[in-house]
Amino acid sequence: MIHFFADPLHFAFMQRALVAGLAVAAVCAVIGVFIVQRGLAFLGDGLAHAAFGGIAIGLFLGASVEHAVWIAIPFTAAVALGIGFVLRRTSLRGDVATGVFFSFSFALGVLFLGLRTASDRQIDVESLLFGNMLAVAPEVLEVVVAVAVLALVLTVALWSRLAYAIFDPELAAISGVPVAVLEYLLLAETAVVVVVAVKTVGVVLVSSFVVIPAATARLVGSTLARATALALAIGMLGAAVGLFVSFHLDTPTAATIILIHCAGFATALAWSRLRR
Amino acid sequence: MTTTVPPPMKSLERRNSARALGQTRPDPAMAHVLDVEHVKIAIRGRTIIDGMSFWVPKGEFVCLCGPNGAGKSTLLKAIMGLVPITSGRITIRGEEVAAGHRHVGYVPQRKGFDRDFPARAVDLIVAALRGKWPAHIRDDEREHARRALAKIGGERLLDKPLAGLSGGETQRVFLARALITEPSLLIFDEPTAGVDARGRAELIELMMQISRSDELAAILVTHNLAAVAATAERIVYIEAGQLLCWGLPEELLGQRSLTALAAFQATDHHAAAADEE
Repeated sequence: MIHFFADPLHFAFMQRALVAGLAVAAVCAVIGVFIVQRGLAFLGDGLAHAAFGGIAIGLFLGASVEHAVWIAIPFTAAVALGIGFVLRRTSLRGDVATGVFFSFSFALGVLFLGLRTASDRQIDVESLLFGNMLAVAPEVLEVVVAVAVLALVLTVALWSRLAYAIFDPELAAISGVPVAVLEYLLLAETAVVVVVAVKTVGVVLVSSFVVIPAATARLVGSTLARATALALAIGMLGAAVGLFVSFHLDTPTAATIILIHCAGFATALAWSRLRR
Repeated sequence: MTTTVPPPMKSLERRNSARALGQTRPDPAMAHVLDVEHVKIAIRGRTIIDGMSFWVPKGEFVCLCGPNGAGKSTLLKAIMGLVPITSGRITIRGEEVAAGHRHVGYVPQRKGFDRDFPARAVDLIVAALRGKWPAHIRDDEREHARRALAKIGGERLLDKPLAGLSGGETQRVFLARALITEPSLLIFDEPTAGVDARGRAELIELMMQISRSDELAAILVTHNLAAVAATAERIVYIEAGQLLCWGLPEELLGQRSLTALAAFQATDHHAAAADEE
């Protein structure tokens, strides 16, 4: 059994993949608890596609895929704030607001990729869409870990106020919680995390890291605090196990992690129904 | 049995009817808990509350009535500091709203919170104490919450998930939440909406007990005339952002104004029915 975990870690790329996977899984799971509770499960998907749009704009402007992230971050954050604005100022639901911005950003991404000429730098669209956790470069790993740690610290620091604001915005506001500021902050923070996560798990799969551990934890956690701790544990455990399984079975890493997370969700679902 | 409801009167007739009533105001010598002085509230250029003045003395239970769109919710929000006032002044125990709102306990409509949120009654009550949601509850906080629930006969609800509570039980928990900070003024915003008949009767009984208190002032906004009749020590009736009546229930629920209130109830019949579904 020990060889199952120890052998892959002889390789530097697996060490980097493990650190990146744990960092992305941890921060996505904790943020995911609030995103899922707020009824914005579709948001991760929407922002990942906005990140694709932002990266495409960066590429069109001549940046490399690595440097295009610095254009994708403000672009995706702006999209997140736009979704928040529509949510607060109209009667539209979160899925509708996200759907509109999702389509707009993705169309923009396709448009800007199409506008590039044959002489422009070649890009691997497949790795952008599906990510490659095993190919995380040391400098990218530093950014991933730094963003994950900052976002985790921020979310934990604001946990009590965010939770109150999501439970009942009016009661929270009466208690002096700055509800609107927190909601915009959560959206912007999610945008930054998603853009960075896209670098490791790809556009298509990143929302699974946000939604599935949080949804699994909600099935079994009787309080939001327990659900948050469970989501963190489930997200990180699934990422580690999935990474090692993918190494031994030679399967795509992010997809394997997500399938492990899905198995956890199915188990929690069965357990929660049996418990009734 | 069918009840004959008089046809709704036109707004002007209602106003004239209301103005003709004798309206006894509170004794000025009593301690003021809430003062609303010449308050005007305009939101995006539209006047919602227009020059309103009344006050609530210590221990008085006031029912705030009026048709939908009269400005009741906006006024409540202003009292709790959620909506800025354009001109005039609101004070609670002599303090401006920014500081005074800590003397206010609020019992919201049952449908206002996220019913899918994994929370227990004790979490909600302790959140009111801390001003933020608790990740972990200390023994002293738990005991405090238990005592608050016990006072209103809801001790057994302490560890129950909110999602599993009936409408009446939920509002009992929200009442314990409002009382735990020992407020001087309780605000009930349509507390019986969405609550079944048994829960409504229990809530009205609880509000009656509060109305007998000489210490705690309360404002009740409701469409439920049974709740008004059971609790009101004074009635404030507003329409189109203006105060039309402010007096004793026997004055305002007398022969003439009963017609006005019945008309108001008939006007809002559909809204009330929708609330109680």
